[in-house]
Amino acid sequence: MQRMSYLESFGKWSTGLLLAGPLIVLALVVHLFGGEVLQRILTVLFINLSMVLGLQIFMGNSGVVSFAPIGFMGIGAYASALFSMSPQAKAMALRNLYSWLVPIQVPFVVAVIIGGLMAALVAALVGYPLMRLSGAAAVIATFALLIIVHTVLINWSEVTNGPRTLFGLEAYTTLWVSAATGILFLLLALWFKETPLGLQLRASREDEAAAASVGINIVWVRWVAFVLAAFVTGVAGALWAHFITSFSPLAFYLPQTFLIISMAIIGGSASVSGAVVGAVAVTAIFEGVRGVENAINISAVFPFTVSGLTEVCLSIAMILILIMRPSGILGSRELRL
Amino acid sequence: MTRDDALTLHIEEITKDFVGLRALEDVTLHLQRGEILGLIGPNGSGKTTLINVVTGFLKPTRGRVRVGEMDITGWPPHRIAHVGLARTFQTIKLFRGLTVLENVEVAAVSAGLPRHRAREQALWALEQVGATRLATVPAGALPYGEERRVEIARALASRPIFLFLDEPAAGLNEQESDALLEMLLPLPREIGCGVLIVDHDMRLIMRLCHRLHVLNYGRTICEGTPAEVRHNPEVIAAYLGTSRRVLPC
Repeated sequence: MQRMSYLESFGKWSTGLLLAGPLIVLALVVHLFGGEVLQRILTVLFINLSMVLGLQIFMGNSGVVSFAPIGFMGIGAYASALFSMSPQAKAMALRNLYSWLVPIQVPFVVAVIIGGLMAALVAALVGYPLMRLSGAAAVIATFALLIIVHTVLINWSEVTNGPRTLFGLEAYTTLWVSAATGILFLLLALWFKETPLGLQLRASREDEAAAASVGINIVWVRWVAFVLAAFVTGVAGALWAHFITSFSPLAFYLPQTFLIISMAIIGGSASVSGAVVGAVAVTAIFEGVRGVENAINISAVFPFTVSGLTEVCLSIAMILILIMRPSGILGSRELRL
Repeated sequence: MTRDDALTLHIEEITKDFVGLRALEDVTLHLQRGEILGLIGPNGSGKTTLINVVTGFLKPTRGRVRVGEMDITGWPPHRIAHVGLARTFQTIKLFRGLTVLENVEVAAVSAGLPRHRAREQALWALEQVGATRLATVPAGALPYGEERRVEIARALASRPIFLFLDEPAAGLNEQESDALLEMLLPLPREIGCGVLIVDHDMRLIMRLCHRLHVLNYGRTICEGTPAEVRHNPEVIAAYLGTSRRVLPC
């Protein structure tokens, strides 16, 4: 039995290697040989990967569909910006900012962690009642949460500049920052699945009554995962903010939500491998089709401008997956040796 | 949450009303550690409802459930599980997306063991039910008879002080039912738990149980040793009408 457990623990590690290895190689190759555009695409890929992993940690393990993550991404983005911007930049971009916040400036890493913690705090507060729901009720409630966060971001102009663009962030997020974070979260998600709590959460996904009968406090285990996932998503939002450097609350709404959820659905959210495959596949489709679209428009094949091709292709991919492999490309399987 | 050897489960004057229906009325029974109690009765007599009330899946309209001096009436199921009450379900409920080992391990983990200890205990539980070789199989891929075994292993993995089995022999043939008997008989001695079993398989019940408690229309009609119950006229009437003299088995 001891032998088997060694082999098995190697099997678990091999999942991490199989997933992280190619990603690291990809980042290295693009860093050395890729142009600016490719580097930017890959940076965004790793940020999106972090967000899909956040989705995997909560939705994948608990089976509760959540539309809330992009709200947490927004909270992480704005919260980190408030702590990373220089007093001068704040004076320019946020004229009505509370005066005590203006002089505070912390190193980028600290600001990112604050972004994650703020998202986690909000998740902790709203999560306890929310975690009692599952099925359609959870979908509606988390969707409502997304709308509420969006409305608050648009109207709390003291800290967000309202519906207008917030500008003046430093571009701290390099390819290496986002790649390192993405791989760290990859290992975090793999580890979390196998913790006692992760195992309990997966059991509750399969059967709530049986889970309660063996002593699993379903609300508690879901809540912990929800808060952890919000932290991961908040950090991803903070990285994105310092990559794009100017953004408005509109960036944290439906298009981004559907992009991340389509990554999770196409790859299969029940496994970490699925999240990685989904993030890579959707980014490839998205960027590939966008290139085609640009080429068509530049060479003026049609007398009109083609737009929305990426969304159409993504929708078709999602429909095909839902028909042919409803639990995603990988379902609940992990890649392993 | 002490697991004192002297503990007894007291089910006292339980009444459970559903809308327009009294499922249980003033049912009182006591279950000691180390004994196997059979809960029998015709369909719809309230046996599963009683298990659901005791394990927290239903709240009783009246009455109390105590473990020793601790009143657990109305507690949520997961807290009752932590006291040491484990159960199986009439319609098998496994974690179908997890492996057999994970199914059993999660029960040991939920009883508070760290994962490596939980794994040892899960392997022990699988051995008890003779399902060790299935450890790595996904639970969703099991044949029916094996599902029953795994569900019982899952209930055992938390080392319960009281175990509730809801129709474990349903759908089993005579041979499989005999194997189940072999498996259940030594349990109380080996892990020192009290077992309450609901089943319609009289061959199994009569040979397995130390004591029987008979329900009909939600009320206790008799309690005693298998031999006493088999000759009780009220039980015979409830099961077979009035013409027969003894319950077949």
